[in-house]
Amino acid sequence: MKLYKKEGNILQILSFPNENAEKGDYLMVEDPDARKAIIAQVIDVQFASIPGVLEELLRTLPDGGVPIQGEDIDPLEIAPHITYIQDASLLICKTRATLENEALSPSNSWLPSRSQSTIKKLSVPMLLKLAKVEGTRPIILGGTKDSSLLTIDATAVDGMLNIITGKKGCGKSHLSKLLMASLIGYKATVVIFDLNGEYTSIGMTQDGKRNMYYNKIHALTPSQNFKVALDQLHLNVVMGILIHALHLPGTSSREFRRIWKTLKEKGKLSLYELGEAIRNLTCNQHVRDALSSRYHAIVNSGFFTDNPAESTFLKECLLKSKEEGGAIIINLRNTSTIDRQIVVEYVLGKLVDSLQSWKLKAVFLFAEEAHLYLRETYWDDIVTRMRHFGIFTTFITNQPDTIRESIYRQADNIFLFNFTNEHDLDVVSRAARVDAETVRSIARDLPPHHCLTLGRVVRDFPIVTRVRSLDMKTMGETRLFFKDRN
Amino acid sequence: MKPNHQETIIAAIDTSTIKIGETSTGIIIAIRGATTWKQNRKYRYTRLGPFIFHITEENKNEVYNTLEKAYFNAHYSSNRYASPHLMQMPTRLASLLERWLQTMLAKTVNNGLILFDGSLTSGTFDTPVQRMKEILSLARKNSSTVLAFSKMTSLRVNGYLITDQLPKSEPPYLLETTGLRFKPPTVVLGDVYVARLNKANYAFRLDIDRETTLTQRLEAVEKLVGNDLYAQSYPETLRLAHILCTFTANEVLAMQHFITRKHGIQIINRPDMHRLLFGPFGKGEIYS
Repeated sequence: MKLYKKEGNILQILSFPNENAEKGDYLMVEDPDARKAIIAQVIDVQFASIPGVLEELLRTLPDGGVPIQGEDIDPLEIAPHITYIQDASLLICKTRATLENEALSPSNSWLPSRSQSTIKKLSVPMLLKLAKVEGTRPIILGGTKDSSLLTIDATAVDGMLNIITGKKGCGKSHLSKLLMASLIGYKATVVIFDLNGEYTSIGMTQDGKRNMYYNKIHALTPSQNFKVALDQLHLNVVMGILIHALHLPGTSSREFRRIWKTLKEKGKLSLYELGEAIRNLTCNQHVRDALSSRYHAIVNSGFFTDNPAESTFLKECLLKSKEEGGAIIINLRNTSTIDRQIVVEYVLGKLVDSLQSWKLKAVFLFAEEAHLYLRETYWDDIVTRMRHFGIFTTFITNQPDTIRESIYRQADNIFLFNFTNEHDLDVVSRAARVDAETVRSIARDLPPHHCLTLGRVVRDFPIVTRVRSLDMKTMGETRLFFKDRN
Repeated sequence: MKPNHQETIIAAIDTSTIKIGETSTGIIIAIRGATTWKQNRKYRYTRLGPFIFHITEENKNEVYNTLEKAYFNAHYSSNRYASPHLMQMPTRLASLLERWLQTMLAKTVNNGLILFDGSLTSGTFDTPVQRMKEILSLARKNSSTVLAFSKMTSLRVNGYLITDQLPKSEPPYLLETTGLRFKPPTVVLGDVYVARLNKANYAFRLDIDRETTLTQRLEAVEKLVGNDLYAQSYPETLRLAHILCTFTANEVLAMQHFITRKHGIQIINRPDMHRLLFGPFGKGEIYS
C-alpha cells in the first residue's frame, strides 16, 4: 500500500490486489522519521485511476459484444502484471487519530511522508488496545472481520443515550437483547417497552428450556398480570395519563384534580368511588361528560383495579431487579394505542418516582419504535431530565426519521445496521459522534447481522461487527404464511 | 466493383513497439505482434509478446543480428552502415517481427487474402527487397493475395495527395495510379491503388502484389469487400490486428513493474528538457 493523497481528513491510499483491504478496516500510516502514525479507516474502495484501462477493456469486446477468441503467447508472463496493475484499488480513508508515543490524539494536522511512510492493517484487538476500549464489565458484541471479538464495557452504556437502528430484518432486536442480557448479567435493572411481545420468552433457550436469565426476566402484560390500583397512584402520574394519553382539557383536569384529592383525603380512592364522584359532580355538563368519557376509557383499559393484591407485581419486580438485576418487559402487544400510552405514562411516571426516592439506583430503558407510544414532550425529557434521574434509554427503530434530530445529536452510542435508503442514512448521519461519509459509505454495504458501532463504547473508532448469536427464544422473526419458502 | 461473398479467409498482421523507459546505459523497449483472421464469420487472433529488450549501444547489433538469424537465418545488417541508431531500434525490431509474421501467414494461408499494414515498399534497412519478394512469392504459391493498406501516404499527383482526389463514383472502387516514381534504393513490389471500400468518405493507399494479374487483383478486393466488415472504409481484420498489438498505458506500467520486480532494473526518469526549458511551450520529446 502507498500513500497517494491527503485532503483534509481524507487519505487516499493505493492498494494492490494481494493487499485486500475492505471498507471498515483500519490502517496505520507510519512515518518513521516523524515517529508518528495516522490511524485511518477505510470508508470506500474504488478502482485506482490507471491510464489505459478503458482501452484495455474496450479491445476485449470488439466483435459486437462477444469477446474475440484467440491465443496469447506471452513468454515473459506479463499478463499477471497487467491484471495486477489493472486491479489496483484506491482506498478512501478517514483519519481517526494520530498515534504518538503510544498515545492517541484526535489531531490529524500533520502530513506523513508519501515516500517513506509504511502502511499496514491495524487489527481490531490492537486498535481497541491503543484506544483503551477496556473495562471490568465486558460485553462481547460479536466478531470482527479479522476473527477477533469486539468487546465493549458496560460502563460505556451506563448513563448514555443509545440508538439501535437499521432496516427491517437485519438484527436490531437481537442486538438489543444481547445488550439487555449482558446488562442484567451485571445486576442492572432493565425496562423494555416490548411492542411486539418478542422479549417475553427470552428467559428460554431456543429449544424451550430455561436459560441463565430465566429468573431475571419479568414479563408484564397490561390488564393481565400487570394492573394498577388507584390508591397506589401519584396524582401527577394520573394527571399525566389524563392530559397526555387521554387529552383531557384544562378545566376538566382541574375538576378531576379536586375530585381525586377529596377521595384521597377520605381514603376512598377506588374505581367505583371515582365513577360515583364524577356521576354526582355538580358542574358544567361538558366537564362532566369529558371526565366521564376518560373515566370509562380508564376502566375499559382493564389496566386499573381496586384489588391491591393484583397490583403489586411491578413493585415486586423492581425490587427484585434492584437486588439481583433483571429485565422488566412491558408487553405492549395486543394493546390499543390509547391503552399503550396509558401504560407507558404510568411506567415512566413510576420509574421517575422510584428513582427520585432512591428506591432504584438507575434503569436502562429499551424502547422499541418509541414514536408509537411516546408522547411528543417525552423525547426531550428522556435525553435531559429523565437522564439525570437515572433513566438511560436505548431507542430501537427501523424508521430513523421517527426519532428527533436532537436525539441523534445527543446520542452517545449508535449501533447502526444496514440501510440502503439515502433518506434514512441522511437522518442517521446527523449524529454528532460520527461523520456523514462514514455512515453513508459503510452502512449501505453492511450485510445482515453486521452492525457499525459508533460512539463512546468504541471510543469514537467506528467498528463493524457481526453480532454474536444468543441462546434465547427470540420470537423476533416475522410470522410467515408460506413456511417452506427459501 | 461488386462485393464477392464467396467464403474466403482474410488474415492480417500488425506489430507495435513502445519505449518502456531509459536506463543508465540504454533503453528498454517492448514489441508485440498480432495476427487476426476471419474464418466462418468469426474473428480469431494470435498475439505474440510483449517481448522486452534492454538495448544499449554495446548490444544493439548483437540483439538485432540474433533475432534476424533466429527469424530468417540470415545476416542482412552485417555491414556497419546498416547499424541503426539506438532510438531507431524499437521500430527495427518491430519490423523484424512483422516480416516474420508475414512470412508465417504467407506460408500457412491457402486461397486467402493477407492484409499488411503499410505498403509493399522494400529496399530499406528493415525490409530488404529479397525478403519482401520471398513473402509475396510464398503467398502466391499458396494461391493467396497480399493487399497492403497504408493509413497515411505522402504520394502526390499534381501536387495533391492521391487519397484526396476521389471521383464521384459509387464505392466500392479502386483507382489505379500510374507514373509514380520512388527514389532508389526503394523498390515498390506492388502496384499502387487508391481504395475506397464503402460510403465513408475515406480512401487508403492500397498496394497489390505486382506479380498478380489484374483479374486476380480485382477478385481479391471484391472478396475482401464481400467478406470483411468495414469501419471508415478500413478492413476490420486489419483494424483488429492493430488494436490487439497496440500497447496501452496500463500495459506499460505493468511492464515497468515486471522489469523492476523480476530483474531489478532501475528505470531512470530523465527530465523532459523541452518542458524544463520552455514550460508550457515545450511539447516534449517523442521517441516512438
